[in-house]
Amino acid sequence: MKLELRGITKRFGSFTANDSIDLVVEPGEIHSLLGENGAGKSTLMNVLYGLLQPDEGQVVIDGERVHFDGPGDAVAAGIGMVHQHFMLVPVFTVAENVMLGYEYTKGGQFLDHAAARQQVRRLSERFGFDVDPDALVEDIPVGVQQRVEIIKALARDAKVLILDEPTAVLTPQETDELIAIMRELKQSGTSIVFITHKLREVRAVADRITVIRRGKVVGTADPGTSEAELASMMVGRTVQLTVDKQPFAPKGEVLQVEDLSVRDDLGRTVVDGVSLDVRGGEIVAIAGVQGNGQTELVEAIVGLGEDISGSIRLQGKQILGLNAKEIIDLGVGYVPEDRSHDGLIESFTVAENLVLSQHDRAPFGSGLLYHPAKVKARANELVGEFDVRTQGVEATAGSLSGGNQQKVVVAREMSRPLKLFVASQPTRGVDVGSIEFLHNRIVAERDHGSAVLLVSTELDEVLALADRIAVMYRGRVVGVVDGDTPRDVLGLMMAGVPEQDARRQAAEQGPTALTVQDEEARQ
Amino acid sequence: MSVTTDRIPEKTPDAPGEPTSATRRRGWAGDVLITVLSIVLALVVGAVLIAVADPRVQETASYFFARPLDMLQAAGSSVANAYAALFKGAIFDYGAETTTAAIRPITESLVFASPLVVAGLAVGLAFRAGLFNIGAEGQIILGAIGAAYVGFAWELPLVVHMVLALVAAMLLGGLWAGIAGFLKARTGAHEVITTIMLNYIARFLLAFLLSTTAFQRPGRNDPISPQVDSTAMLPQMLGSWSRLHLGLLVAIAAGFGVWWLLNRSTLGFKLRAVGANPFASRTAGIDVGWSTFAAMAIAGSLAGLAGAFQIIGTERSLTGGVSAGIGFDAITVALLGRGNPFGIVLAGFLFGALKAGGVTMQARTGTPIDLVFVVQSLIVLFIAAPPLVRAIFRIRAQGAGSMQVSKGWNA
Amino acid sequence: MKKVVRATAIAGAAALALAACGQAPDENGNTSGNGGGTGTETASNFQACMVTDAGGVDDRSFNASAWKGLQDAEKELGVKAKYVESNSETDYAPNVQQMVADDCGIIVTVGFLLGDATKAAAEANPDEKFAIVDFQYEQPVKNISPLIFDTAQAAFLAGYVAADTTKTGTVATFGGINIPTVSIFMDGFVDGVAYYNQAKGKQVKVLGWDKAKQNGSFTGDFNDQNKGKNLTNTFIQQGADIVMPVAGPVGLGAAAAAQEAGDVMIIGVDSDWYESAPQYKSIVLTSVVKEIDNSVLDVTKSAAEDKFTNEPYVGTLENEGVSIAGFGDFESQVSPSLQQEVDDLKAKIISGEVKVESPSSPKS
Repeated sequence: MKLELRGITKRFGSFTANDSIDLVVEPGEIHSLLGENGAGKSTLMNVLYGLLQPDEGQVVIDGERVHFDGPGDAVAAGIGMVHQHFMLVPVFTVAENVMLGYEYTKGGQFLDHAAARQQVRRLSERFGFDVDPDALVEDIPVGVQQRVEIIKALARDAKVLILDEPTAVLTPQETDELIAIMRELKQSGTSIVFITHKLREVRAVADRITVIRRGKVVGTADPGTSEAELASMMVGRTVQLTVDKQPFAPKGEVLQVEDLSVRDDLGRTVVDGVSLDVRGGEIVAIAGVQGNGQTELVEAIVGLGEDISGSIRLQGKQILGLNAKEIIDLGVGYVPEDRSHDGLIESFTVAENLVLSQHDRAPFGSGLLYHPAKVKARANELVGEFDVRTQGVEATAGSLSGGNQQKVVVAREMSRPLKLFVASQPTRGVDVGSIEFLHNRIVAERDHGSAVLLVSTELDEVLALADRIAVMYRGRVVGVVDGDTPRDVLGLMMAGVPEQDARRQAAEQGPTALTVQDEEARQ
Repeated sequence: MSVTTDRIPEKTPDAPGEPTSATRRRGWAGDVLITVLSIVLALVVGAVLIAVADPRVQETASYFFARPLDMLQAAGSSVANAYAALFKGAIFDYGAETTTAAIRPITESLVFASPLVVAGLAVGLAFRAGLFNIGAEGQIILGAIGAAYVGFAWELPLVVHMVLALVAAMLLGGLWAGIAGFLKARTGAHEVITTIMLNYIARFLLAFLLSTTAFQRPGRNDPISPQVDSTAMLPQMLGSWSRLHLGLLVAIAAGFGVWWLLNRSTLGFKLRAVGANPFASRTAGIDVGWSTFAAMAIAGSLAGLAGAFQIIGTERSLTGGVSAGIGFDAITVALLGRGNPFGIVLAGFLFGALKAGGVTMQARTGTPIDLVFVVQSLIVLFIAAPPLVRAIFRIRAQGAGSMQVSKGWNA
Repeated sequence: MKKVVRATAIAGAAALALAACGQAPDENGNTSGNGGGTGTETASNFQACMVTDAGGVDDRSFNASAWKGLQDAEKELGVKAKYVESNSETDYAPNVQQMVADDCGIIVTVGFLLGDATKAAAEANPDEKFAIVDFQYEQPVKNISPLIFDTAQAAFLAGYVAADTTKTGTVATFGGINIPTVSIFMDGFVDGVAYYNQAKGKQVKVLGWDKAKQNGSFTGDFNDQNKGKNLTNTFIQQGADIVMPVAGPVGLGAAAAAQEAGDVMIIGVDSDWYESAPQYKSIVLTSVVKEIDNSVLDVTKSAAEDKFTNEPYVGTLENEGVSIAGFGDFESQVSPSLQQEVDDLKAKIISGEVKVESPSSPKS
């Protein structure tokens, strides 16, 4: 099936989200749609999937113009979509989720579970999905849930599969497996529209690349194009992808975590005997797949955890048992991993968000009095210093793009003298331009002498910033390695393999799809 | 921030048409417009109901096709008379013989408005702190109990007596709401449930107290307390011809106070922060539990003030029906005022006027007073469904596209 | 969906059109529907106004009865009658004030609970004339005429009838709120049963009221019919087969419970429930009737004719201000001599041979 979008224009009020976009997806092609957050990728796909009606332009399938009133029409025409946030019912089985909305019935009214199960098994075997049709969705890993979404689309005879930021939630290994699946699908004639902002993956898998910026197609590229070129197409200017870092000169111990264990509210041990230390002037990154205890470890350090045992010392002072406010006051800055949930208040103004933890401290507050004018003045300074792109400090934080929201959080935390800076996923959902800025600020904080604890599930980020790397797996630190440890060794450690074994296995297995690029880069 | 608009939808990356701050600013004016149009619409629907209920209209409708003008005239005059009476009863009785009689209605509206305003502030303040205070009714009852007891049981000099009665009402009301706040902060018990239950407890506590010798008026078997001493009464501001008492000024001052608290105090900052996003507030070192308790306690003391107004402003004695449903009207007042202190003051005035006018409307035109409740309810109903109002008046929605998408997207 | 809406609209319009095809009245015809009556010129400007208590004007009890009195006055005297309803205690004062502002010739406030509000308004407006149903001030107020009823006399007869009619030997009564106008019924009822027991040597029990202690069963308000229903069910479980609810509309809940139980009778109060609550006529044994409407009509008349005084009107068996209704459907079932015995007893009460006393009786 050949899919064409011709001159698609979609406006929201005065804002043009898509400006006469042309896109051609050939049969059996993996077509990557590359663009920053807010560039209009999702709008375009929503038009294609029938969720939005274009103001101008048309969708053409195999030379015939089609019109979609809703996703139902799009599915019927052979278009399948895997959303970034999965549309699965957690308490249903895989097979039940696959049949949801397109129930197989027998005798007109009875659900035909056997047929659904059979369908799942057939697709799973054909493409090497390894999915158990009877497993409950809530029990299976995120990577497998994603495959269930793909099976859903395939079960409805999708000829074109749209994958919206599919790798955002995956481990490097899972990403490799997804890439394998995409190639398998391509072999069987399914076209794939692969939406992402990760340059490395695009180059690994795409046959063709269309780059959009501010609602317009700014160019097409082939996978041979260098990352730097793709990045500058996306952003519209030259971007430095690597971070300039001075050799690190660690000073005294700032954070000492000893034998720390954390139990969740169900009593399960989620952090298990972790010991870790971070010195002033060094960046220690915690690498690991999401959900291996990093969140709980960090929350324990910043005073937000419960049911903790062990010891956490800040410059020798025990801080375990202090509350968040007291720890903030000791000079700990914290960028939480979910910025819209924990980092800022979207309905508050930028100015208010910039003093969220300092609003009752001089000069912003004294006793019961709160001084908006002083808050505003300070906000204006910080917005300038941290290059926050906003219509003004009185604009709500929710009106900012992800990257600018993150700059607000980082600006707030860095705007006071810090001993320890803890950043969880500081660049998740942040555009390339902002990533560059944020990385530079984090390195600057380290050069300034602060201890920096970075948590990231993005190996790129870990490798770019870390002086040392602690890999976490199932609540434990698998090992602490140097900042220049090879990607595939880290990947294996993230799956729980101890350092020595990981190095040996990596040497035996040879490079994977993604590490090849590292080699290229080095040459 | 407003309490009635949807939470800002969580954005997926690339979500189109993100509302900019400019559209938000326009949104504020839009809120006012929607509110005004909702009131207009409610009055229009009310007019239809008045006409339909009118016997003369029903009679003329039976021969509508023979002489349609009859029915239209009947309908027109019934609606005009009813709304004229509503206006005369609420604002200015232009047919009255004396000046005081002419302006008495507006003072009466303000009398009704005073407790509604403070109770509305109690609900609105809690809204801003992320709490649905359904318990204003119970807090009013506790406030009334406090004011009444101080008023009739203690003998104190002028001014001191009144101030102490007000303080007692605020303390008891604050305590009552504080129970719900404490339970929420400590155990996570949902305040909607606890405040509703506390309403029942307050009601029966009042019924019980009124059967005890401490509260029951000597010589009476029915549940009524002694009258409070005149030293405890809020002074009448215009003399004996009007019931308008000092409570009005207290209520307006409370409006300013709540505005100041929310926008110019560190406590208010915390309350708003916790209300808008408790997780981010906790991360920023704000004590969410304490803020919850403080918000409820302050809200309760405002509602307690409403109870005091009932006793030492107008009623003088405590009876089973002293709260008069003000605590529930307060919820609609807070919604109509959209959680904004000044909006709540204005909404309280509107509801006070409708209440005062409703009595006159019933007395002079026989229009059932229930119609006033219908109109009040319709106003809130329309406000709760802005797209409906927009559709009726064909106003273009701001950022409608993004709303649609976010629903399809994150639903 | 749209089609359905349209179809419904068309159907509705058609129905309206059919209904609206009636004949127009003669253009010259006198539109005498409103206003115009047989009264004198002065009387037709006279407004007779009423403020209800929280029961509302359609409570089938004393509010309804008082309103009927005003409507009668409208017909007979050509005055203009109107009312406002109160929804809670806090409405009383403003509602009375509303009527003062509306230049009423007389303001009738209905119920004991309006006592304070009425007095305050009367003192503030000495030229305005008031009448209050069911309340007597300790110190008479010069412009309030109390309309009060020695209902104990009639309830005494009802107690006698109940005692004679019960099959289980247990009867019951309950009230809305323990106020004199309620407890006076219960006093009379209990005394009537006691009189019967003494006269006939029987042991009929009364549940729900202890006259000596002036305490008994109350639902706590005059609105919630469910409470009346629950309380009545309790009485039925304890063996009562005749219940007299003295609780305004709450009594309808009692009637509902009695009807569900079967074989249980109700004694109505205030008005003749055989007439005013026809859905329960098959279980209404009799009713203790207060002729509130007559008293309201009387006081309106005297005010309209400028003969208003603050003398209390006291309804008694003698002046027929209170009475006991007929036996309705039970005419054939009660003992044949009962009607005669009741008539005799009534004569004895009127003559003073039998004294009916209640702490709540009107003081003359």
